[in-house]
Amino acid sequence: MKPFSKYWSIFQITLLNSLAYPGELVGRSLMIIPFMWIFYQLWKITFSAAGVEVMSGLTLSNTLWYLMLAETIELGRPPLARTMSENVKDGSIAYILNKPYDFLLYQFSATMGETIFRAMLNAVFGGLTVWWLVGAPQHPEGFLIAIPAILGAWILHFCINAMIGLSAFVVEDVSAFTWIYQKLAFIFGGMLIPLDFYPQWLQTLAKFLPFSSAIYGPARLFVTPSVELFVNVMSLQLAWILALTFVLVIVYRRGLTQLTVNGG
Amino acid sequence: MVDDMKEIKFLLAIWKTNLLSAMEYRASFLTQTIGMMVNDFIYFAIWIIFFERFKDVRGWGVNDMYVTYGVLASAFGLVSLLFGNAFTLSDIIAKGRLDYYLSLPRPVLLHTIASRSIASGMGDFVYGFISYGLSGYFTWDGLARYVLAMLLAAVVFASFLILTQSLAFWFGMMSNFSALALNAMLTFGIYPITLFDQYAKLILFTLIPAALVGAVPAAFIRAFSWQTLAQLLAGAIGFLTLSILLFRVGLRRYESGSAIQVEV
Repeated sequence: MKPFSKYWSIFQITLLNSLAYPGELVGRSLMIIPFMWIFYQLWKITFSAAGVEVMSGLTLSNTLWYLMLAETIELGRPPLARTMSENVKDGSIAYILNKPYDFLLYQFSATMGETIFRAMLNAVFGGLTVWWLVGAPQHPEGFLIAIPAILGAWILHFCINAMIGLSAFVVEDVSAFTWIYQKLAFIFGGMLIPLDFYPQWLQTLAKFLPFSSAIYGPARLFVTPSVELFVNVMSLQLAWILALTFVLVIVYRRGLTQLTVNGG
Repeated sequence: MVDDMKEIKFLLAIWKTNLLSAMEYRASFLTQTIGMMVNDFIYFAIWIIFFERFKDVRGWGVNDMYVTYGVLASAFGLVSLLFGNAFTLSDIIAKGRLDYYLSLPRPVLLHTIASRSIASGMGDFVYGFISYGLSGYFTWDGLARYVLAMLLAAVVFASFLILTQSLAFWFGMMSNFSALALNAMLTFGIYPITLFDQYAKLILFTLIPAALVGAVPAAFIRAFSWQTLAQLLAGAIGFLTLSILLFRVGLRRYESGSAIQVEV
């Protein structure tokens, strides 16, 4: 276990660092409130216009709680790719690469440390807003059941974002890739519209992609928890985590040979 | 009059310098422009999926979304391209970086906000026109209204940024609040205005003037009316005046950071 103790320490340090500026942390998390309010307006009118209580297995309350968790996962994750790109641009990558730790595990520990409180505060503000708008979640226990899937979602996000960040070794500026990834996650992850409301062909495609494992799976598990859904979500997520970790390690090794360090 | 011409020439010279600077990194400029257009398209695809299933939101259909999204994207893009520092004005104030602009014989606010150009703004700007072209509302006189409405919306946008970011004169670092205000403006601007009741609409015309960069310009583009034109003109003149006044009042409280600043 000893080799991993340093990564645990990195995780703890970043976790504590994220509390160093509580105003900053709270301020950033308040963003979820207007999002949830506008989602409520949109879906209240949509359900009312459709004249139904339940659409594709989701009530208005389910839909709002689903969106709350989806937003929490998305808003909780730090901008890893951008940070890595900045490290390459200003040359500080040299100081990270020459330390006695694995670069990817260092980034993973630091990212998770930064994620925890960001996500918790988003969940608190988003949860209170949705509770006030539509009442308590139908299955509060769903939150506990969804926790492993939420962790898996962050690992998936990490793998993809680290790959985008590593592309900075070659192209330096990765902002275009991060925008596109974020929007692909919006559309194929079901972040603004639950995938269940999509046309059948698009649902089938989206549910197979990693974006749905990173957003839709955990959020749907939270609102309609069941053993079958849990097994489905976790097994697909695990398959994507294994596949993307493998690709990430290869990309990292190749990226190192292409890196040009700026400055000094 | 002579002074006004001098300032316009000065502004044109800054924009020309910004453009030449961007052209030094052509690959990056193109990547960011194309990346932002792809990003906009993917984001809008969510609305296409939504309206494919639910048809309309209280009479607001996908065609209306094309126009609203288009004019908002173009206005946002134009401000990013021409007044890029409007997005980081609070940082400039809080970090004492106004010193550089104060030491030169030019209007401080204009010089500061025009001194940076965000390349991705070109992607938003161009995408807006494409979105309007696809809306089904395209006519040549409509295009003329599009340009006018977009310019007025850009004035409101820039003024709103100056207003929120100038609060840094009183409260110091405001980057979280500024990001929150900008996100609220963009989110509320994109969503159908028919979602909101009278009280919410009052907020969208005043506190967060999202209606003046989304729904009202879109209505003016679809069909000319003196009422919408008057709303746009009053909004642009009113917010611009207010933002300049607030900046000037705040500037009297400005304290230099005494740091050595290098403006490149």
